[in-house]
Amino acid sequence: MAAEEMGKTPKRLRVAFAISSVLFLAALAVSPVKDLMREWRHYKREYVRFAEGRPDTKVLLADFHSDMDQIWIPELNVTDRCVTCHQGVTQPSLLDASVPEPFRAHSPIPHRVMDWGCVTCHRGQGLATEAKEAHDTTKAWERPLLAIGYIQASCGVCHGSDLPETPRLNRGRAVLDNLSCVGCHRLPGVQRPPMLGPDLTDVGVKVSRVWIYKWLKEPRTILDANGSVTVDGVENEAEPRMPRFRLTDAEILALSAYLSALTSKPIPPYRFEPRVLAAWEKRPDVMDQGEVRFREMFCTTCHSVAVTRAGETKLIGGDIGPELSKVGSKVNQDWLTAWLRDPQSYLPNSLMPRYGWSDEDLYKVTRYVMSRFTDPDLLSDVPKLGVPSPEEMKLGRRLFTEKGCSSCHVIAGVRMQSDFGPDLSNVGGKTTSQLMFGESPIPHDLVSYIQAKILDPASVNPAARMPQYHFEAGDLQALTTALLSMTGGQTTPGLATLVVPRIERQFHPAGEFGKVYERYKCYVCHNFQGFGGALAPDLTFEGSRAPRAWLVSFLKNPQTLRPTLTLRMPQFNMTDGEAATIADYLGLAMQSPLVNAQEVDPTNFTAQEAALGKQLYEVKYQCQSCHTIGATGGYVGPNLSNAGNWLNAAWMEAWMRNPQALVPGTMEPRRELADPETRALTAYLLTLRGQAGGPAGGARAAQGGAR
Amino acid sequence: MKTRTAAAIVLLATLVSLSSCRRERAPVKPDPLLNAYDTEADWNNPDHILPLTYQQAQGKRVFYEKCVWCHADSTPAGPSNRSNLNPTPALINDGKVLNPMSDGYLQNMITLGGSALGKSALMPPWGKTLTQNDIRALIAYTRAVAQPPYQAPVSPRPQYSVR
Repeated sequence: MAAEEMGKTPKRLRVAFAISSVLFLAALAVSPVKDLMREWRHYKREYVRFAEGRPDTKVLLADFHSDMDQIWIPELNVTDRCVTCHQGVTQPSLLDASVPEPFRAHSPIPHRVMDWGCVTCHRGQGLATEAKEAHDTTKAWERPLLAIGYIQASCGVCHGSDLPETPRLNRGRAVLDNLSCVGCHRLPGVQRPPMLGPDLTDVGVKVSRVWIYKWLKEPRTILDANGSVTVDGVENEAEPRMPRFRLTDAEILALSAYLSALTSKPIPPYRFEPRVLAAWEKRPDVMDQGEVRFREMFCTTCHSVAVTRAGETKLIGGDIGPELSKVGSKVNQDWLTAWLRDPQSYLPNSLMPRYGWSDEDLYKVTRYVMSRFTDPDLLSDVPKLGVPSPEEMKLGRRLFTEKGCSSCHVIAGVRMQSDFGPDLSNVGGKTTSQLMFGESPIPHDLVSYIQAKILDPASVNPAARMPQYHFEAGDLQALTTALLSMTGGQTTPGLATLVVPRIERQFHPAGEFGKVYERYKCYVCHNFQGFGGALAPDLTFEGSRAPRAWLVSFLKNPQTLRPTLTLRMPQFNMTDGEAATIADYLGLAMQSPLVNAQEVDPTNFTAQEAALGKQLYEVKYQCQSCHTIGATGGYVGPNLSNAGNWLNAAWMEAWMRNPQALVPGTMEPRRELADPETRALTAYLLTLRGQAGGPAGGARAAQGGAR
Repeated sequence: MKTRTAAAIVLLATLVSLSSCRRERAPVKPDPLLNAYDTEADWNNPDHILPLTYQQAQGKRVFYEKCVWCHADSTPAGPSNRSNLNPTPALINDGKVLNPMSDGYLQNMITLGGSALGKSALMPPWGKTLTQNDIRALIAYTRAVAQPPYQAPVSPRPQYSVR
């Protein structure tokens, strides 16, 4: 019965059944077909085709399989399928730029790609299996890939101190420092220095209200013939230390009134010896004599001045102190005299050394600076300001805090504002939805936001209080990189344990040396055990390098530097006692364990050794390509004419064994000479006792100065 | 009836094929400088900015530390030592001189110095100061800034197929 009924099933029903079966099968087939057509499978096939066209096919396809690949590192929270398409990442032979993406090998970086994954540095979505989802901002993923131009930001997420491999990040961090961003913003790992802008407690005794008005209106004051501006203190950079704030005329009037009235500690005019005044007051050449002294003291090692040659205005000199081209139109003479005598009594945290002045020099240099570094037109466009009214001063005092002046400048009795600007600890970790773009037409991504904000703060937020900066393209990119590296702590606990924090070393010795060290601010240019500047030679092992007698004579008269340098050690007019204190301390405390003076007796070298050394120097190793003796030779390394007086014999031997062990990163190539050759060269150098000897690492000073 | 069924089948087939079809994405052409690890201006034409990869950028750093003093006409410190030397060292971007030298030759030259290769001893050996990786990076940088541009030698054709 049932079979009969089955057999009688209406034809329509059977057709319907057949169709639905076909449909069902087709529906089932959708999934595998879809899978076969996936984008990543296309790249898998392409890779095989590509590898077959290369000579090392077998190597390239050794680990190949047709499924999806991924890097899985649970402790770093990495599950990256990027290698499914980027299949040549670890193939050294695919490094060349001619290899098409996505198959090119990863550059040989210090980290192994397979140990770190991809999104740890590149961002993007590692789990994605489509290029768009992996690379771009989509609804599902708000952290797009970081362009390679900014990739150094990822190094900075873990590495707090500068790495030699990341020039852009280092530059960006330096710009953050130079522009005193930490005055208003919280920056991870950056300590607020003791002084950002000058203390303004007594600014009224230093400058006039007219000058303050002009400065607030436009701090960029030096124009070259083409009308481009060179700015305060910073050579070749488009930014003065003090940026231009968006202030109205009324606000500038009020601020200038308030600040010019700050004169709690009037400066009594310095009384020069009558003998000096009688001798110099009427002399027509007092300014020329002042200029000679100004040059001899090497003020331009720290300060720059504008020089116009053939219609081109350039700033010459260093950028440690402010630029001085128009300082004569800025400060009054009594203040300048007092300042030069004792800078720290006016600004306790100033980096200016306290020179030893004779009354005569002080008078000559003050007159020179006040009369030659002037610009009669500087203040000509300032309206008549009159006497500050109480209302103006009251408003000025309020604005000083409200406009953020107090974030960088201290005034005794005015509370310093902390966290005036937004906390930037996490600015590089923000997702697009956390950013406010306002009416700005820029693309909605983090990099565009950061750049719009620092180029024109008002463009994304019309109420922004941030001042207006001017950046070169390179600095903008560097600054963006540094900001992107601030991601507010680590994304995974695994990474947090691997962070290399920023190291801040300090070197502030106590005692007599400490006093002299602070007086002459040695650390502004020289480095001591990792603390200090990079402008001049590192003095960490100076006691091993130079004999005491040479040190004393150099400190008393540091005029023996090579003539090609523009930045040199200033002539401080040290007393004999101070020079002896420094030389004794260096000799005692700044010693390298690699240099043992007892092992090498400088009187024990023979004339034959010296003759052999001369030959090695001139013929075999041709040291004259970099070093000068007498009048001939190169000027990459220091002048060796006085090497016998300047360098200890034990230092020379240790240096020739391994220069980088004594001064890390020094230019001298390490040759690992045989001991007899080292001895012979030392013997030869000890015979050089000429007068034109250069100091240690002169070229390093030049190098640092140009940076 | 038949037409309806046929229409339904065709419709379904179209839907199925549509869902499995996917537009082949054209590869995005990035701005070459946005995707450069670092950049260097062409020495002969400062407006022409050359992109550098990570490796080339490391070579640039080593170059400006150790080599620039004699292999460039201007240095970070101002004057160059190049004019002081006889024979005059090649400029690092001089493609006419450096392009014909193979990577291996340059590696030896930098590692062992001029005298080891029968050239002037004015060129010191750097093999104990720099790592081999540094030297490879240096060569990569040289190739990146070479004018006329450097052409890598053509690699030989494959000798076998996997299929």
